[in-house]
Amino acid sequence: MLSRLFEALYQKVFVSIVLTRSGTLVYIEHCDSKKVLQNFEKKFHTTTFDHKIYDFIQEHISETPFYYITILDSSAQQGALPTCEAREMQLYVDMEANRSLCYNNQWSYYTSVEGLDLVQKEYKDLGLDFIFSPFCLLAKIYKDKLASQMCMFILLEDNFLSLSVFDENKLLFAQRLDMDHADENDDMMIDDEDELEFDLDASINLDEVNAMDDLGELEDFSDIEDLDTLDEIDEFDESIKPQENKKKLFDDMPVADEDGFNEDYQRFLLVKSAVHTFYNDDKYESKFVEHVYIADCVGVSDDLKRYIEEEMFLNPIIRKVDLMQELCDMAKEELR
Amino acid sequence: MRYSYIRPKRKSVFTEEMQLMFLFFSITVCMLFLTYGFLLFKDYRYGVQKEEMQTQKEQINLEIEEMKTQITFMKQKQALGEKIFTQNSILKDSITNLFDLIPERITISEAKLLKNGLIFYGITPNKDVYNFMLQAPLRSIFHETYSSFYPYENGWLRFVSTNYIEEKEGMFDAD
Repeated sequence: MLSRLFEALYQKVFVSIVLTRSGTLVYIEHCDSKKVLQNFEKKFHTTTFDHKIYDFIQEHISETPFYYITILDSSAQQGALPTCEAREMQLYVDMEANRSLCYNNQWSYYTSVEGLDLVQKEYKDLGLDFIFSPFCLLAKIYKDKLASQMCMFILLEDNFLSLSVFDENKLLFAQRLDMDHADENDDMMIDDEDELEFDLDASINLDEVNAMDDLGELEDFSDIEDLDTLDEIDEFDESIKPQENKKKLFDDMPVADEDGFNEDYQRFLLVKSAVHTFYNDDKYESKFVEHVYIADCVGVSDDLKRYIEEEMFLNPIIRKVDLMQELCDMAKEELR
Repeated sequence: MRYSYIRPKRKSVFTEEMQLMFLFFSITVCMLFLTYGFLLFKDYRYGVQKEEMQTQKEQINLEIEEMKTQITFMKQKQALGEKIFTQNSILKDSITNLFDLIPERITISEAKLLKNGLIFYGITPNKDVYNFMLQAPLRSIFHETYSSFYPYENGWLRFVSTNYIEEKEGMFDAD
């Protein structure tokens, strides 16, 4: 009773911390019992916790004892499992080295205990209150879509992709994809003969269609939005060899990054590899995915949507998501 | 439903700073109450002392009044004493003068001083000596003088001289 009175007297401050490849994003929200009063956001060009971050957060949390610091788990050794049974979970991961939580008694998400200890140790000066899993966050964002049939959900962060496949609330597949290792994955795919073949098949099929010679064949592709325009089809030329065609495809990609690969294309490759794993790995109940719901926290271009549509024949629906705010909302929900 | 891998830390308004502040205020309030209590005690003591002083003052006033009465009484006694001393001096002078009246040829064997009179017993060679040398001055002093004689063995006369003065002009006051 007394604590509720004090809570009403003080403002609540919610702090969200998200690590990116180039730095640390800190979002601070001052709330009263009903609404958000102020919010602040700042990017620090360091991926480790330093005194600048501490000073910035301390400046806000010193005003009230009711502050909650939330961080999104960025551990590479995390994932989601289609069961909540400890015995069954043990079949997938070593549960002694991992900590798991069950979501609605349907599926569970886990992370390594060591990773949790490390992040808590790093932020011990501030003291973390919540560590959320991106899979849980993704499920919360799309909680109204989880009951749909065979949908893929992707949370796009700056450095990670959290991908999960649900069929009527049942988790079929989940994978955490690291952007830092995207090049390695890509190299692996190119080196792998089957992967290369898989990669080129989609392109070759399209390339071999000569729109000018046989417009009638295009009727078969009338339901594919991006093939509607003849101009794009014109770009394909029979004379171009498969390897050259692949090169041409890369050349058409918008603004390439320093490594020569567009980030959206890297993300696309990661998604494609994950889907490939889902379809081909016997461990997973393989079903055909139709829709892809993408929670975009970084602001991807339309290219990603185009790649997924063109290369994988999926229907992507992208939703812009403020990751920091979602974390704050999740912390608020957990406090209720 | 629980989403976080860790539980939030318990939040309390009683942070270390607040605890320090409460300790400080508690000590301050405690000191204030102690000071208030001390002042109340002192006030009570002052009240008691004031009553005692009042009682003492009343007692001293009574003593002063008593002493004033005593002083008045003493002054009266002093006045009386002085009066008596004066009267005694006068009496002494009178007696001295009286005995000075007695001639050498008459011998006084006894004298009685009365409140309003004087009685002499003595021996005179004869009546004439007595009448001329003693009775005459006594008559000038006393209003009434009586003398009686009876013979003595060698031919002299014993006499008893009784002298009175009137009450109104007596030597001694009724006081």
